[in-house]
Amino acid sequence: MHKSGPALLLLPILLASATRPRYGGTLHVEIRSSIETPDPPNAGSGIPDLSPAFHITRWEAGRRAIFESTETVPGGRPFLDSVEVTMGRALRDQSIDLELGKADLIELGPSEIRRQPPARKVWSSSPVRVLALVFGKLVDDARVREALALAVDRSAIQAVLLQRQGEVSAALLPQWLSGFAFLYPTATDIARARSLASGARPLALAVDDPSFRPIAERIALNARDAGLTLAIGHGSDVRLVELRVASLDPVRALAAMAVELGLPEPAHADSPEALYLAERALLQGHRVIPLIHLPDVYGAGPRVHGGPGVTPLGEWRFENLWLEGGRP
Amino acid sequence: MMFRTRLLLVFTLAVVAAVSLVELLVVGNTRQTFERMEAQRADVLTRQFRKEFERRGSEMVRAVNAIAGSEIAVNIAVSPDPAVWYTEAGQLAASHGLDLLELVAGDGSIISSAEWPARFGYKEDWLAAGGDWRKRGAFLRREELPGGTALALLAVGTAAAGDRKLYVAGGQQLDREFLSTLVLPEGMQVLLYRNLEARFSPAELIEASGPAASAERLRPLIEEVRTSRREAVSTVGTGADAETFHAVPLSGDEDNLLGVVLIGSSRRELALLETSLLLNGIAVAAAGILVGIALSWWATARITRPVRRLVVSAGKVAAGDWNATVEISSGDEIGQLARAFNRMTGQLVAQRERLVQSERVAAWRELARRLAHELKNPLFPLQITVENMQRARERYPEQFDEVFREGTATLLAELAQLKQIVGRFSDFARMPMPEMQRVDLNTLVGDTVKFFEAQLSEAGVRAVTQLDPRLPPVQADREQLSRTLRNLVLNAIDAMPQGGTLTLRTAALPGVARIEVADTGQGLTPEECERLFTPYYTTKTHGTGLGLAIVQSVVSDHGGTVAVESEKGRGATFRIELQVTS
Repeated sequence: MHKSGPALLLLPILLASATRPRYGGTLHVEIRSSIETPDPPNAGSGIPDLSPAFHITRWEAGRRAIFESTETVPGGRPFLDSVEVTMGRALRDQSIDLELGKADLIELGPSEIRRQPPARKVWSSSPVRVLALVFGKLVDDARVREALALAVDRSAIQAVLLQRQGEVSAALLPQWLSGFAFLYPTATDIARARSLASGARPLALAVDDPSFRPIAERIALNARDAGLTLAIGHGSDVRLVELRVASLDPVRALAAMAVELGLPEPAHADSPEALYLAERALLQGHRVIPLIHLPDVYGAGPRVHGGPGVTPLGEWRFENLWLEGGRP
Repeated sequence: MMFRTRLLLVFTLAVVAAVSLVELLVVGNTRQTFERMEAQRADVLTRQFRKEFERRGSEMVRAVNAIAGSEIAVNIAVSPDPAVWYTEAGQLAASHGLDLLELVAGDGSIISSAEWPARFGYKEDWLAAGGDWRKRGAFLRREELPGGTALALLAVGTAAAGDRKLYVAGGQQLDREFLSTLVLPEGMQVLLYRNLEARFSPAELIEASGPAASAERLRPLIEEVRTSRREAVSTVGTGADAETFHAVPLSGDEDNLLGVVLIGSSRRELALLETSLLLNGIAVAAAGILVGIALSWWATARITRPVRRLVVSAGKVAAGDWNATVEISSGDEIGQLARAFNRMTGQLVAQRERLVQSERVAAWRELARRLAHELKNPLFPLQITVENMQRARERYPEQFDEVFREGTATLLAELAQLKQIVGRFSDFARMPMPEMQRVDLNTLVGDTVKFFEAQLSEAGVRAVTQLDPRLPPVQADREQLSRTLRNLVLNAIDAMPQGGTLTLRTAALPGVARIEVADTGQGLTPEECERLFTPYYTTKTHGTGLGLAIVQSVVSDHGGTVAVESEKGRGATFRIELQVTS
């Protein structure tokens, strides 16, 4: 017992020092979006969420942003000295950078999630993004739009391409926000789609984010089954877009989505029934075909402690994170 | 055409025909041999392609079986959530060098597709219905790809874990990349027609470098294979650009014709070889023909030399040299001919001498007859006159002087006639050699007509002259030629006792000056025409029969010819032709 006494005393001390937050260090964050605005955005999720705990010191539009901790912030200075955000980084490259220790916090795509080691910290938000098909003004035949809506197999996309992430939905507002998303049917009806698509001209399907290209290809395949030809590339017929839930208030969130999609402003809703009707009115005519609601998923490197660094709404909360190797 | 030329031509034609025939036979046989060799080469190439194709199929089978036998295939087969494997096919295909790879669950649902990742969940029922895939080996199949329908060489492997099964269907597209990786000998090219449409489509014919440029040229061959489903061979193009294509049908897993492989073998080398052979053959043939012509020339010269001697000798005989003979240098037919010619000329000379002797005798006889006839007429009055004078002296001396005077006058007249007769004969015997000078025949004809003006008028004959102003002067003895014309005019006047028309005509012919004297008298029979120029022959009751003989003699001395044309009752035309010397 005497021989092992000092060792037994040292272990709790070491454990305590390892879990105690430490100050300093730069948190390297990589994201796939590329913000090209001349000034850093001050609204939305992600970078705007860093304020007021951090303030921007360097902005390279579309490439990089450096934030430093604000000493006088209410609640005390963050543990991190600074946060460096690298923009426009592909998901696969982000994973590699995380493995190599070049990044501390990255976005995880569906295919990367299952490849993460069990010890990896994975922070996921609620489904706050909506993947949807948006028709351009030139596609004025509602039958063709409905045919595509009936042809897309959302379940297969969610189960395979998204590795069961997110929720299949034909609604703009997610189920957790509106409570009635399940009312919008998501089942396919190829026979009806075929009859509706009869004689339709080939359409061009544009994909904003290259990581969604496999989803676009699957949609094109589904469309082919219905007799519709969708050529993936540049064009203004159909776009596969990603929308973000901008507010916890479903009315505001729907209004923001309508603005972003170029749809008419939804009718004011002061009850769930009215909101449902307003959303249904937006979706009538199939100008927009919501497909899947997706969460934000981040993976953190082994240096990162504390957290979670992402809220259920997908907001960044880095003031509680600290890095290993910092000063006590 | 000369006999020698004709013989040379015949020999040359024979040589050319023989050499050409030999050349054709040699070229034809050689070409057949080359064609046989080419066919064997193409056959070897076709077998080589088949082996290469089978080798590639075996590689497919090995690769697919390797995947099916791997641990990952078992993991996928037993996985409760196949969705997590949906990108696996792409990685496996890349690592095993496959264009196409699909991982298909036991129920036929695609778990992962390398060639069309979006097709996960779709059914491939043909795999579940295919039976024992391990025994199938590689096979052709039409595959639906994002870019359209493609032809693929596929193999299927299976992985089993308990009651779970996984089909691994992998392979390679039969496209230009596939063709470019085939190991083929030099001079060979492989084209592939993907029989994926109901009708022939030029775009489906590809070669290693891309779409085939010769699609339309190969269309008949491809159509033939599509119809018969059997191998076919065809040569496309001409000359050095020609290619022989062996078309091999490629059947699919359902015994359907999915493709046609066209193994092309360039005929360039063969064409160049044939051209070289042909050129060499032509050169040899040309040399042979030249040698043949030279030998023919020598042979014809040798063969025709005795004939030419015969010709020369015959020419001499024709020219009057009846003593001409031919040298006999051989005992063959030509020699016999020469011998016969010599014998014939000898006999001709003998016969001529005999004929001359008999003619001479006949001439003397004729001369004697004519002399007797001509002399008898004056002699009879002489005799009567002398007898009258004798009778008058004896019986009537008082009248003798008068009788004597009349008798001597008669005697002198008859003696003058005798003298004239003798003079004519003497003239004919003493025809002098012509003294040549430039004579204008038109002037001569005009003078002659003028000379006879009074006599013509008295005889009631109208004289007509048709003179050719282009007639050049000739070298002639003016006196003799004038005498000749006078004789002819006199004959014409005698031929028209009832009057008529005398026409004197001149004409300038090439190298010849012609004079014609035509009458409208009673004409001559053919027999009379033949004998007309014979001395002492006459159709008249008076005359010596020497006039036309003199005409012929003069014209002959001038190197000319005289002829007569006549029909009984339609007059006669005498035609004299003289050579014109510049």
